[in-house]
Amino acid sequence: MNPRRRLTRPTRWPVVAVALAAALAFSACAGDDPGDAVGQPGFDDCAENPNTCNSGERDDGGSITWLVVSKPTGWNAYSPEGGSVYTLQMLHGIYPHTGMFAPDRETYLFNMDLFAAEPELLSEDPQSWQYVLRDEAVWDDGTPISADDFVVSWKLGTSPEQGHCDGCRSRATAPYDRVESIEGSADGKTVTVTMKEGEYDPEWFGFLNVDSIAGGLMPAHVAEQNGFDVDDPVQLGGYFEWLQANMPTFSGGPYRIVEGDFENQVIKEPNENWYGEIDPTLETYIIRVIDDQGAWVPALANDEIHGGAPIQLNEDVVSGIRELPNVYSHIHPGPSWEHIDFNIDVPAFQDVELRRAIFTAIDVDDIASRNFGEMFPDYTLRTNHVFSADSPYHVDHVTETGQGSGDTEAALAILENAGYELDGTTLTLDGEQVGPFRLRATADQARVTSMELIQSYLAEVGIEIIIETTDDLGGMLGEQDYDIAQFGWSGSPLFVGTAAQQWMTGSGSNFGNYSNPEVDRLVTQELTATTQDEAAEIANQAMEVLVQDAYVLPMYDSPVFIFASDGYVNVRDNTGESVRGVYNNHEWGTAVQ
Amino acid sequence: MADIETRTAGPTLAVAAETINTEQRSQLRLALARFVRHRLAVASLVVLLLVVGFAFIGSMVWPYDHTVTRGVPSSVAPSWDHPFGTTTAGQDVMGQVMRGTQQSLKVALTVAVISTTFGALWGAIAGLYRGWVDNLMMRIVDVILVVPLLVLVTAVAGNVRGGTTWWAVALVIAAFIWTGTSRVVRGVVLSLREQEFVEASRAMGSTDSRIIVRHLIPNAAGPIIVAGTLAVAFAILAEAALSFLGFGIQPPDTSLGLLIETARTAPFTRPWLFYPPGMFIILICLTINFIGDGLRDALDPRQTMVRR
Amino acid sequence: MVVYAARRLLAAIPVLLAASVFCFVLIDISGDPLADLRFLEPPPEPEVIAAEEARLYLDRSMPERYLLWMTGIGGNGDIGLLQGRFGPSVRGPGFDIADEIAARFLVTLRLVVIALLLAIGLAVISGVISAVRQYSAVDYTLTFVGFLALAMPAFWIGALIKEGGVWSNQQFGTGFATIGAASADTREYDAWQLFTDTAAHLILPTLALMLTAYAALSRYQRASMLEVLNSDYVRLARAKGLRNRIVVRRHALRTALIPLATVSALLVAGTIDGAILIERVFQWRGLGDFFLDSVSRNDSYSVMGWLMLSGIIVIAANLVADLLYAVLDPRIRYG
Repeated sequence: MNPRRRLTRPTRWPVVAVALAAALAFSACAGDDPGDAVGQPGFDDCAENPNTCNSGERDDGGSITWLVVSKPTGWNAYSPEGGSVYTLQMLHGIYPHTGMFAPDRETYLFNMDLFAAEPELLSEDPQSWQYVLRDEAVWDDGTPISADDFVVSWKLGTSPEQGHCDGCRSRATAPYDRVESIEGSADGKTVTVTMKEGEYDPEWFGFLNVDSIAGGLMPAHVAEQNGFDVDDPVQLGGYFEWLQANMPTFSGGPYRIVEGDFENQVIKEPNENWYGEIDPTLETYIIRVIDDQGAWVPALANDEIHGGAPIQLNEDVVSGIRELPNVYSHIHPGPSWEHIDFNIDVPAFQDVELRRAIFTAIDVDDIASRNFGEMFPDYTLRTNHVFSADSPYHVDHVTETGQGSGDTEAALAILENAGYELDGTTLTLDGEQVGPFRLRATADQARVTSMELIQSYLAEVGIEIIIETTDDLGGMLGEQDYDIAQFGWSGSPLFVGTAAQQWMTGSGSNFGNYSNPEVDRLVTQELTATTQDEAAEIANQAMEVLVQDAYVLPMYDSPVFIFASDGYVNVRDNTGESVRGVYNNHEWGTAVQ
Repeated sequence: MADIETRTAGPTLAVAAETINTEQRSQLRLALARFVRHRLAVASLVVLLLVVGFAFIGSMVWPYDHTVTRGVPSSVAPSWDHPFGTTTAGQDVMGQVMRGTQQSLKVALTVAVISTTFGALWGAIAGLYRGWVDNLMMRIVDVILVVPLLVLVTAVAGNVRGGTTWWAVALVIAAFIWTGTSRVVRGVVLSLREQEFVEASRAMGSTDSRIIVRHLIPNAAGPIIVAGTLAVAFAILAEAALSFLGFGIQPPDTSLGLLIETARTAPFTRPWLFYPPGMFIILICLTINFIGDGLRDALDPRQTMVRR
Repeated sequence: MVVYAARRLLAAIPVLLAASVFCFVLIDISGDPLADLRFLEPPPEPEVIAAEEARLYLDRSMPERYLLWMTGIGGNGDIGLLQGRFGPSVRGPGFDIADEIAARFLVTLRLVVIALLLAIGLAVISGVISAVRQYSAVDYTLTFVGFLALAMPAFWIGALIKEGGVWSNQQFGTGFATIGAASADTREYDAWQLFTDTAAHLILPTLALMLTAYAALSRYQRASMLEVLNSDYVRLARAKGLRNRIVVRRHALRTALIPLATVSALLVAGTIDGAILIERVFQWRGLGDFFLDSVSRNDSYSVMGWLMLSGIIVIAANLVADLLYAVLDPRIRYG
């Protein structure tokens, strides 16, 4: 799930500017050719130096094969069938983009290979901002990257009613529908984006970045070359389908795809017309799709793949990888966090005391330590619904309430005070059994273990739990086909607006149908906050109420891992971006022997 | 099969030297005697009974059951406390294997009995009657053969949620695999029906059902028994697939197949999760196979123990 | 015989029809093909969903849709089995089901055919050995191996074989590959290199599939060999003084092939199922992989297309087996 996050207002500016400066300084220190790099080989110091770990001097040539764990289903990431994080991972490196977060998840890096100067906000009402493109920025056939590409990329994402494209099937139209116009200067190198009246996007600097719908900019000239007039809505729709059907052999990034299909592998080679500062040294860069977890370790041992950054953390896969010589691996908290939600529409769950008691009986630490305590002893429990533990806005709302502690005595006390009785091994209210309740989640190992443990905790307070896995999480949540659900929210360093999306009455991501007027008031207020600090303050207030209402129990940040053969340098994970390890694929190289 | 009954010689015949004492022996006792001579079959029967004992009685004796117990440590290798080790969630694997064996045995044996019986009857009837009856019955078999199990399973799993009994799983699996037995039995019957004893039987006025039950099926015992043993093996794995998809035996309840499926990535890193249930599956399959061998020898006098 | 074959072929049509109806209904009730679309974040416009429904003909009732799939009347020109079109796919308007099946067919074919032939050969040989040396150590070993291959899940067999392959690569420098039907980058390969590359990728999965196929087959083969070797005419032949080897070869083998012929038809169906699992373990993008993908996406028209192909294969195998049956056993005559 990727809830949209909002960031506010210009006062964020100085922060970003400073961060940018720091990032630039940092990358300058790290060197053009990260030869005189600070980091040591391997992932050991990634916790302290996430932006520079595993760096080293690059040798020329070589080939790397990177793992993607699920099949993309199309070339056009705008489309519902083609649009997935796996498509983005597969295609990263060929589209010019506007920026991304660094691995430390705080620093935002504008793409200074593309821009001559930092993008600037021009006005707030209507909101507009400007990009200035470098003259050197060109597509692989020499066509300059220009405002036309921005226009096409924007229009492809709009919904049909906007009238820009007839036949475009964008899977997320909201960010693009709010744009009024995109104009270019005469030479096409200055691009001005203007939002519609009354629309304000605090996340404007993320427009068309690496995490955007297609991971960057689509070329306008390729449309023309193939007979599509991008000013004609119908023909633009034709271009949309063309992009879906045809493997992109064009490039505005460091690599170019030379061969492939999206089910097996995609072969990339360096783009000769790459205009960026750091050139790729690898001769070939292959992405291989392997969707069976059991196949990764033998393939790695057999030198058929050299690295990957899967989402799922599997104890056995990690042990298998750790046993291989010449492979670095590292586990760290990932971008998403697990939590347990109630379906408030279930009659029994309308009693807040029952909800509180259930949450109190669940021992989150036990679940976490059993699931990955062995491999990752430094796991962090989640005690805040919006901010992770390393965020400056983090406040622990949960621990003091006892929720997630596994304290059965306390849970029983709450229940007894609320009028429930433990009749033998069954909890009853007015003589009727409470439950059984359906606990649902997807079928991966960590979640099944967690559900089995929850089943045992709740059995101690007399509540029967029926475990039902699902292979269609979206459907299950959308239809409220659960009593209790466990799933994850994927996080991003931007947070404003999440609260409204997840907890406001009737909101799209408020699956359990939670409703509290106080929370509604607060989250609406958050959307109009003027500073990030203010927004965080309000969000924390809303969380206080939420925790008392026991609707969501945060569990832990789901750890993820990355592995890479020691024959390569500059490979590292970036949990701030959905493309993860490939975020800097142009900096990769074979290690000097 | 020859219906031979030995009769005692009448007392009118006086034999000077030893009296030869023969007893009337029924066919059943003959079969039993032959079975007992088959040492491996007997040994397998014993082992199978031990397995059943382990599963049903052991679970009453062993301190841990198959559910999560908080005190149990996570993912430890076999030790004195936990001879088969423990799982990530904190379940004792021995307790799980005991429970799993119970459930798997129930399902597998039910499937074997139902599918083999039904399939054998179906195939025998089709083979005996030939003509349009045969055609129709075999075409129905073809239809079921053509539809892949996974499609059936996904459809079922998509609509029936948790809490289904092992009975339901067994029925679904049996409904899928009886076709194998029917084809094999039909094949045997097609050649058998041309043999003289069938004609003779008819001449004596046997009804068709008598022919089928008393003559054809026993003579097809070999392939039927093989089909039965294969059905057991197949049923265990099929049940695992179904449970994995949400139909049938669900956590916290477990079966051998489910244990194996959950330990999918573990065979080389945490072998105690995978091999104990695996071993029991093999043990069950092998013992049933050898018992089947013994049954076949017992029922078919032409298959003797004489080594060539 | 010819009449019989013709009648069987004719009978195959209602069988396929019945199977297709059965399957269509099953897939339909399995789930909603558009579930992923409906619950995207943020949710798409109702028009987008409605357009997809129309494209996939989900706005019509099930019987209507079945008739549409079969005849193509009333559709948009992309559907109608009798017109040679397989219908639209959930995977997008550019996805051609027929093309995809055709391409993958060849991939799976080389895996299945070789594995099947090896399995049959191995089963015949081991069946003969087992029967001739009944109750010997060899017999028991083969029985044990057979059951191991039968009762253990495909992923375990695959994992073991991969481990073996990787170990062999490290010790002896062999070039077995564990994933895919070919290497990722074969652009510069000449014909010979392509051939060895294909072989290197083919060996391990074929071994795995062969074992799963062999297992069931060997059980029937052994049993039937035992029956025959103990039958009267074989005893007579031996009593007459013929050498055992000749007896086995001339008389017993032929008769023992009868149940094999019967079972081979089941075997084909079983190998198709086995290939599905093996393709996943070894990451081959063949028909099995296509099938798994289509079922998980509830892509009914793709599954129906796959089913028609596999159905024809199974029915054809059945027919060939039945005809072979008549050839091998002269006592059987088809009226």
